[in-house]
Amino acid sequence: MEQEHHKHGKEDWYDKIHLYLLIIPIVFFVFSLVFLGTFQAKNGDLIYKDVSLTGGTTISVFDSKVNIDSVKTEVLKQFPDALIREISNVRTGDQQGFILETKADVKDIQPALEKILGYKLTQSNSSVEFAGSSLSSGFYKQLRLAVIIAFLLMAAVVFIIFRTFVPSFTIVLCAFADIVMTLTVVDLLGINVSLAGVIAFLMLIGYSVDTDILLTTRVIRRDEGSINLRVWESFKTGITMTLTAIAAVGVSLIVIYNYSDTLRQIFTILLIGLGFDILNTWVTNASIIKWYAEWKGLHK
Amino acid sequence: MKINFGWRVWLLIIVLLLSILAIRPNFFGSGVVVKSVDKDSSIYTAGLRTNEIITSINGQGIKNQQDYARVIDSLFPNNFTGDVKLEIKTKSNDYVFLSNETPRITVENVPKTKIQTGLDLRGGARALVKADVSLTDDKLQDLVETSRNRFNVYGLSDINVRGVTDLSGNKFMLIEVAGASPQDLTNLIGQQGKFTATIGNTTVFDSDRGDIKDVCKNNAQCAGIRSCTPSQDGSGYICSFQFAVYLSPEAAKKHADITRDLGIDDTGQYLSQKIYLYVDEKEVNSLLIGASLRGQETTEISVQGSGSGKTQQEALTAAQQDMNTLQTILKTGSLPYKLEIVKLDTISPTLGGDFVYLILEAGALSIIVVAIIVFARYRKIKESLALLLTSFSEIVIILGIAALLKWNLDLPSIAGILATIGTGVDQQIVILDEAKKNKLLSIAERLKRALFIIMSSYFTALVSLLPLYWAGAGLFKGFAFTTIIGITAGVLITRPAFAEMIRRVEG
Repeated sequence: MEQEHHKHGKEDWYDKIHLYLLIIPIVFFVFSLVFLGTFQAKNGDLIYKDVSLTGGTTISVFDSKVNIDSVKTEVLKQFPDALIREISNVRTGDQQGFILETKADVKDIQPALEKILGYKLTQSNSSVEFAGSSLSSGFYKQLRLAVIIAFLLMAAVVFIIFRTFVPSFTIVLCAFADIVMTLTVVDLLGINVSLAGVIAFLMLIGYSVDTDILLTTRVIRRDEGSINLRVWESFKTGITMTLTAIAAVGVSLIVIYNYSDTLRQIFTILLIGLGFDILNTWVTNASIIKWYAEWKGLHK
Repeated sequence: MKINFGWRVWLLIIVLLLSILAIRPNFFGSGVVVKSVDKDSSIYTAGLRTNEIITSINGQGIKNQQDYARVIDSLFPNNFTGDVKLEIKTKSNDYVFLSNETPRITVENVPKTKIQTGLDLRGGARALVKADVSLTDDKLQDLVETSRNRFNVYGLSDINVRGVTDLSGNKFMLIEVAGASPQDLTNLIGQQGKFTATIGNTTVFDSDRGDIKDVCKNNAQCAGIRSCTPSQDGSGYICSFQFAVYLSPEAAKKHADITRDLGIDDTGQYLSQKIYLYVDEKEVNSLLIGASLRGQETTEISVQGSGSGKTQQEALTAAQQDMNTLQTILKTGSLPYKLEIVKLDTISPTLGGDFVYLILEAGALSIIVVAIIVFARYRKIKESLALLLTSFSEIVIILGIAALLKWNLDLPSIAGILATIGTGVDQQIVILDEAKKNKLLSIAERLKRALFIIMSSYFTALVSLLPLYWAGAGLFKGFAFTTIIGITAGVLITRPAFAEMIRRVEG
């Protein structure tokens, strides 16, 4: 039987090394904390923020013919901080227009851009988003607070469900590690996080505890099978869950990649987070909960 | 075969049908919906009102906006003078009348579903406005009403003005206009509303001079409905209202100077000239001036008016509405603070159209990929199909609830729907696996265990979404709302139904 096979084969191996496996997430975690600490000291914040969080203007121009490179050169002369990216159709790869981001006020950038393009920007050929800097930084502070409150509420619910310190704390720790590691990768990739990006971190809280709850429930609230078997069965279920989520997010990311900055960022952050969730659930949480269950004598 | 699904599956089927009913897909619907009717026009007098669906004009069928434009253009060519007999058929009525101008109405295609899309999918402009002083809830409400009134004066239809409060207690006014240019919106908000009133050709009050100090509102002592009586011809009721307006001493003197030389009208109750009220130089109303006010230098004047209706309730509502409108008009320009646009977005409808398409594509592809993974893992066609079906019905239920609550589906909401499908699939996988393992236990016991994991995940997800409801001036309410609806419908309806299906397949 498959289960018997695991009991005698891989399980001995797992018994011996499961605590050593913890070294991998610990290294990642410590590195992330050190990195984010340095990052915070250097940049005054945990992330690079885009104009939706710092204040500024985003203009999307729908023009399939305009020479984007020459527009870029002209714009940069007057607005050195401006970022310009092409929008293209994912199926055909055809140019559909471009997105311009700058900290400048819409009153300054819009007439300048109209002059460069040689036509008026109207609702039929463009989308303009502008947010004042005080509002944007206010939004950012609130969303950051929302993420922190959400995290604390989640932690409270986890403690209420399991009512034991080590398993509950481990779940919260794993969710925290997911977020910290994802933040590090987002910073390393140089992503300018938008309002929507902050929301993705919030979604990550919900997604990452799912598998941890599954694992913890099966290991400490059940009494059938060995602990290793319970971990292994949970792993089979959990990895299917995470893989379907990764597949769904990955497919969506490919479809909208060159089209919507908002959704691209949400999906990218989720994808990174889901990847780390595999590590943190099946190495961090699994090792700790196995050690805890054996220590408490929860196995037969 | 005996049809016995168990009540959980039946519940899902019923909710699903109700959702479809709420969405009311109407792919074959034709005609145009009347979105606005000008009150001074012949078509209004003929009786046509908003929300009626026009199906034909002078015998020619109207299927969509293009048909409407074509028929109207042929009836009223350029430089046309004279009268045309119009016979307009709507779903509920026929209207026959003479008109010397194109009907002053705006029409839209009959919507295909009851689902309302947000501004970012439909195109339009959105502004978040903040006052330079902190506002109380009452003041914010005043500002919203005053602004709404001004926009109505400009004939901007399909406008959504509301007050929003964020997590730190900042108050904003959110204005969303479908189809308006951002310039219109900026101009409107940028300049304070200007209120003026004239008697004859002389300006009596001007908000720029600070003539109107205050308008009594929501205070029964100085404003309210004073009487309701059956009308003299016996056709209905008339309710009269009255409220006080406080003037500056200069304005009071000016009013006295102008009215001193006016005559009295035939009834003997009012002065011979009316006072005309203007907002931003457009006439919005005219009032009779009580004879007793002639030459009086008073800083408190009383404005009176009435509303009529077929029933007393109708008359009361009409009077209240009229009073409210007048109060907000008179208040325009007397806002004691400056407004600042802190966020201004305009969204091109072209982006919207493509977005919907892309998102549908992303959603469909994701579900297919997930189905393939699930099938590869379990190798069971029935279970995989049940999973697909459940995921799909979850989307329909979310859309149904959104349609029922007239919720505007915007991009964040759609991200929320995608997130819900993701967690929904995850929980169904938990059910599948719990049902398959440990066959020593009864299937009911196994499913109970799955439910524990699902409820735990549900509550953690629910509490983590709550703060988003208030953060960021409610701009992410859409995401929080759809996700909460989705996961709640999930644990209450679709998950139990899926468990039931699996119980029947496995059991």
